[in-house]
Amino acid sequence: MNSQLLSSADGSIDKPEAIETSNLTFCWDRLQPTLRFPDFSLPRGEHLFLYGPSGTGKSTLLSLLAGMLSPASGVVKLLGTEFHRSDAGKRDRFRADHIGVIFQQFNLVPYLTAEANVTLPCKLSSRRKSATGESPTLAAQRLLSALAIPESHWQRKVTQLSIGQQQRIAAARALIGAPEIILADEPTSALDSDNRDRFINLLLALAGERNTSVVFVSHDRSLARHFHHQIELGQVSA
Amino acid sequence: MKIRLALSLATASLWYRRKVLALVCLTLTLSVTLLLGVQYLRTEVKQSFTSTISDTDLIIGARSGQLNLLLYTVFHMGDATNNIRWSTFQALEKDARIDWLIPISLGDSYKGFRVVATDKAFKEHFRYGQGQPLELAGGQWSEGIFDVVLGAGVARTLSHQLNDEVILSHGGGRTSFSNHKDTPFKVTGILEATGTPVDQAVYISLQGMEAIHVGWESGVAIPGRTLTPERAQGRDLTPSAITAVFAGLDRKILTFRVQRDINQYAEEPLSAILPGVALSELWRLMGQFERALLGITGFVVVTSLIGLIAVLLTLQAQRSHEIAVLRATGASPGLIASLYVIECLALAVVACLSALVLSSLAISILGPWLLTNYGIQIQLRSLNLEEWALLASVPLAALLVAFVPALSAWQTSRSQGFGSPDKL
Repeated sequence: MNSQLLSSADGSIDKPEAIETSNLTFCWDRLQPTLRFPDFSLPRGEHLFLYGPSGTGKSTLLSLLAGMLSPASGVVKLLGTEFHRSDAGKRDRFRADHIGVIFQQFNLVPYLTAEANVTLPCKLSSRRKSATGESPTLAAQRLLSALAIPESHWQRKVTQLSIGQQQRIAAARALIGAPEIILADEPTSALDSDNRDRFINLLLALAGERNTSVVFVSHDRSLARHFHHQIELGQVSA
Repeated sequence: MKIRLALSLATASLWYRRKVLALVCLTLTLSVTLLLGVQYLRTEVKQSFTSTISDTDLIIGARSGQLNLLLYTVFHMGDATNNIRWSTFQALEKDARIDWLIPISLGDSYKGFRVVATDKAFKEHFRYGQGQPLELAGGQWSEGIFDVVLGAGVARTLSHQLNDEVILSHGGGRTSFSNHKDTPFKVTGILEATGTPVDQAVYISLQGMEAIHVGWESGVAIPGRTLTPERAQGRDLTPSAITAVFAGLDRKILTFRVQRDINQYAEEPLSAILPGVALSELWRLMGQFERALLGITGFVVVTSLIGLIAVLLTLQAQRSHEIAVLRATGASPGLIASLYVIECLALAVVACLSALVLSSLAISILGPWLLTNYGIQIQLRSLNLEEWALLASVPLAALLVAFVPALSAWQTSRSQGFGSPDKL
């Protein structure tokens, strides 16, 4: 088993972990093997690297953590709440309030400007909106500058921007309103190595400022050095 | 539900896909225009039809059915079953309850148009529409025996001017071999278009009708016995019979009593009909057709709506990434579904508004042209309740069919995983 229990860095008991899972399994349908996931817990503000070859259920695990899928069995605890027990509507609201997501590609709503894409979570969650402290637009502009998106691009249609810029805008959207957790599904797989390292450094630095935990999925093991913890998936048992 | 967010997203999405959606919207606009136009025309045509003749309380002719009498006296279709005697007309004139009488005599034609012989009472008492009198576009009403006044449609079709000479034909039909060529008529007046059968007839005096038939007693002209215009002047040309009479009463309340008295007239068998009643009965017969037309147009709109849904469903496949992003950001399946409902509804409302503009433009541009060229009277007016209801039914139907893509989006996004839906 490659599963490992990650211990909290400060060892405090009353402060809930960002993510805790145990005995998590998932099954797409009867014909396919049940996916079993290792137990882990991730303290607030720390970053986890999940790697493994394709087909090991990396994206499925992220879907379970995001509450977009329900596990066949097992427990998902996010910020102390037993997430898997909530109904779908509650999970949607929890995700809007506490989770930022970055996909591999096609991260943005094509008909919104860069800025409108970044402020989208603030429109779906009043908690994220108030957490920006200032106006969501100002917060979005601050994040876009920090992620090196030139000001001339802020009001542009996102389809006119490069893949690297699109991924950084997605990162800004995940970071806005300081959610406790960011789930990133191979966000760098379409980037070259220079861009990749720059992206991860920026993402983790900005997440660190906000005490946000990042769960980062990739099949590229070389990226593991950026993260506090790492787990290898790949144990598929029937 | 985040209504403001849903509205702003739907607006942005519609604008983003405007090129494809504009075509669907255009299809819907055209079909709604058609629907609105047909409904509008139905109302207008019915209005114009039922006011083909107004202010006339009774139409009196030889004993026959009321539709037959209406058709040959007002619409110049078909033939009279029999004439009524001049003495009967004189007896009616003596009836104190009757205010005025318009005698008409039919039977001849001019190049396919009916010849109506009548007297001064026609000009004074004949009314159509909302009690409008007949107006002359040029010239004056017949004074002499061989003067003729043309309906607007006749003058336009045959390009007649004032003072043209016309030869009437014996009997109906476009090409007649027996013409009243010894007694030519002169055009002294041309009527304004009315949008009624009045436009499709020519009007002469009863004396003129009598004069051209002297020597025609056997049905064909007997050479030497017909009149020349000069010889006609001195003669007594009082007709011995006429075809029908339009009557106006002093007191409308007596209409049914006068009608019964005429129907029971002892001297000869007569029929008196109420034109309003006969017109609505005739409309009921023809109404089947216009209802069928409306039904067909309704189906055209339904087809366009189905086309709209087909396009929205096709676009749904392209939208899976965008939906995945919205779902992952915390949008509920309900919000995703509402986008489709809003978009569908917005397209329908835009189509309805464009249809309103398009049809009012069409009516205001085509209205005068239709009246002068086809004698159809259509004016721009505000929509009535029925038309508003019909128009409102389009967005309502759109709302209903929007549930097809909305439900499918709701279902897909409920089981949406992380990333694109096709990804494990």
